This record gives sequence, C-alpha cells and structure tokens, in this order.
Amino acid sequence: MAKEVALDCMGEACPVPLIKTENALKKLDLGDVLVVQIDHSCAMKNVPEWARKEGHNVEIEEVDDGEWEIFIEKTK
Amino acid sequence: MSESNTSIRTSSRARTGTKKKKANQLPFGVVLIAGMIAFGIYLATISAKLALFWILGGCFGFILQKSRFCFTASMRDPYLTGSTSVTRAVLIAFAVTTIGFTAIKYGAYIKGLPIPGQGYIAPISLATVVGAFIFGIGMVIAGGCASGTLMRVGEGFGMQLLSLFFFVVGSLWGAHDYGWWKLNFMMNGPKIFLPDVFGWAGAVAVQLLVIAALYIAADKWENRKLNADSNH
Amino acid sequence: MDIKNNKFYQMWFKNAWTYVVGAVLLSLFQIVTLATTNDPWGVSGPFANWGAWLYRAVGGSVDKWYYFSSKGAQATLAGGFFKDAGSIRNLGVIVGALLAALLASQFKFKKIKSVKQVAAAVLGGLLMGYGARIAAGCNIGALFSGIASLSLSGWVFALFLFLGAMAGSKLLVKYFM
Repeated sequence: MAKEVALDCMGEACPVPLIKTENALKKLDLGDVLVVQIDHSCAMKNVPEWARKEGHNVEIEEVDDGEWEIFIEKTK
Repeated sequence: MSESNTSIRTSSRARTGTKKKKANQLPFGVVLIAGMIAFGIYLATISAKLALFWILGGCFGFILQKSRFCFTASMRDPYLTGSTSVTRAVLIAFAVTTIGFTAIKYGAYIKGLPIPGQGYIAPISLATVVGAFIFGIGMVIAGGCASGTLMRVGEGFGMQLLSLFFFVVGSLWGAHDYGWWKLNFMMNGPKIFLPDVFGWAGAVAVQLLVIAALYIAADKWENRKLNADSNH
Repeated sequence: MDIKNNKFYQMWFKNAWTYVVGAVLLSLFQIVTLATTNDPWGVSGPFANWGAWLYRAVGGSVDKWYYFSSKGAQATLAGGFFKDAGSIRNLGVIVGALLAALLASQFKFKKIKSVKQVAAAVLGGLLMGYGARIAAGCNIGALFSGIASLSLSGWVFALFLFLGAMAGSKLLVKYFM
C-alpha cells in the first residue's frame, strides 16, 4: 500500500530542503509519495528539478503566499 | 502514468484541505511601485546618478528574485547535489557580459578614451586566494552570497537579514585589516588584463573558449551522476 | 478584472523565470551599468561604508584606517547613506526583490528557526564580509564583473570560491543542518 510521507522544510535555508528531500526519498518504497513543504523560492525550483531528473513524478502546488507543497512519487 | 498522477492529485486535495485563503499581495506591490517611483524622483533632485543606481538596483533585484538566480548554488550544487543547471546559467552570464563589456571597453580604447571599469582589474595575490576561499565557505553556510543575501532580505528571510548585518561587520573588519593585506600581498600582486596578454580579439576568444569548455564539463558532470545512478 | 488568470501576468509576474533568462537579463543590465555608470556592478563595497557609519554611531572612528584614507572614501563617508550611489543600488536590489515577490503574491516573513541558523548566519556573514574586502569584491564585483572585464583575477577568485564552497558544503552538512 503506497504511503504518503510529509517532510516539513518550512523556514529552512538553501540548500537544506533539497538535501532533506534526497535523504527522505531514499528511505521510501516505490510508489510512495513524499510531500515536501517549503517556503523557500529557490527550493520550489531546485527540488522539483532534481526529482524530475531522478525520474520521479513530480507535482508542485502553491498552498499559500510564499508556501508550496511538492509531491514526489518515487518511481525508481 | 495517469494513474500515478491521479494518486498524487487525491492526496493533494486531502492534504491541502486546511489550505488558507490566499491573500492577494498585488495591491501591496502596486503601492510599492508607486513608492519606488516617488523615491526615484526624490533621488533625481539630488543627482541623476542616484536615481540611475536606484533603478539599476531595482532591476537587478527583480531579475534575481524572479529567476531564483543564485551564484552560491552555481558553485555549491555541482559538489553537493550534482546539479549544474545554475552553474551553466552563470557561465552563460559570463559569456554574454564579456561580449558586452569588451565592446564598450574596446570602443573606448580605439577612440583613445579612458577605458571604463578598469578598476575592477584587481591585483592577484594571496589576499585574492584567501578572500575568495573564505567567501565561498561563508556564502554556502549563510545560505546566500552578496546579491543572494540582498535578494532574500527582500523576500522576507530573517536569517539573511542577520547574515547581512554580520556581512557588514565582517566588511568593516576586513576594511580594518585591508592596509595590512595591501602592504604584504596586494601591492606585489600583478593586475592581468587579458587583452594585454592575448590582444583584444584573442582575449575574448580564449575566454569564451574556456567558458564553453566549462559549460560542456558542467553538462557532462550533471549527466554523469545520473548515468551512474541509473546503473544501480 | 481577473488579472491572476491573464497569460501575461502569469508569464511575467507570477511564474518563476528560467535560470537562462535570468542570466541573459542580468548580463543585459550589467552591460547597461558599465555603459552608464562607467563601472560594472558591485555589491559588497558599500557594506564597508555601512560598517563605518554604524561604527561611528557607537562612537568609533575609521578616519585613520588606510582603507578609508582616500579623498573619495572620505567624501563618501561624509555624504551619508542616501548620497552613496552604491548603497542606493543595494537598497534597490532589496526592494526590487520585494516587489517581485509581492507582485507574484509570494512574499512571506520567514523567521529564524534555530540556533544553528543564527550561528550559520553570523559565521557566514562575517566570512563573506571579510573575504570580500580582501579579495576586493564578492560574487558580483570580483567574480561576475571581474571575469566579464577580462581580468585574470576573476578566474582566480572563481577557482578559490569554488573550493571554498566545497569546504562550506561539508561544514554545512556536518554542523548547520
């Protein structure tokens, strides 16, 4: 059963959200979804970019002013 | 493919059920534009130069924020995350600016006018080496370089406001020690303006070739990491 | 008037621009800067002045320092923040970024989260400030402008900046995350 895991990266400085995302994704199983919560404008670009290059399905949604949720489905 | 998209969508709606109603900040932006124009007009009454610098700064800040441009990332990511997209963009900036700057400088040169911006041809010495190295450490730890720190202050990051304050303190400290560095190192350091070595056309050609080579290397580096991962 | 769904609003103000677009536009304005102000863009120089003004405000004096000894430096210090073109430009960068965030409705105050962040900001700021002075510039003045000005110093700066960034990354992951 695919699970959904939230990763709170609010208030983190560059490049912490990306590093935490990489580490968290390693621990997930195929098909799991990691929801990365960020409020950093750089991260809303570099996290999806990295995840897509790794081959995962990525979607990003702006949930509030300056806050985003990045949904990464581990596919590899 | 669409199945996995559906599963993401479902969790998105479930998760963001607690979504707050987004405020619309555009009115604040419009008010700020008015304020910026007013301040610019005020500056122009003191001198046109101040108004010009105000406009240029505003443009740089706007561009930096919109493109999330970060020199820190260009230097840090190849090592830390294996990504070179920002690095390659910075190389493009170097190339394009080189061409524009050289055009201006050469134009002045052939007219027999003083070449603008030559103050930025800095002497190369241990001071350059040490300064660049510690700046590199500092910018990664602080989460932003000089331009990046200013940009993030504008975006509301408290951490960079603190970083800016200590950047100022560090600058004062550096200014205090500057005389010592100048006497012992900078004074003996050569200022090397590449056209003096390669000629104008040669210098531009060499520099653009170096930039192109670095670009290719950066591209290979990013894809090398991915190829390595996909072999697992 | 539903501006949020307007295609040009989305493209120019709402969505993030690509790094390459940023690179080209920054280059454009660098060139404009050299052409109109006779010098390329620099960011860290004014910070030493800000330091001097703060120092004076608490009773200190920089008047005997070599760094501030030139007539130009003395005149700049005497003129104050609002007459210093470099300071105004830096202020412009802050406000320009703020404007970009507001027009995209993406502005948010992000408070400092932990002691580690404080330590990182303090140490990082000091290293950048000191390093920029003795290297005669930062990532803009020494690196971007230096290289584009066809100065070998820019490349030397770039190499050691890169090495420093590697060292900084190790420290970041070990102590500041």
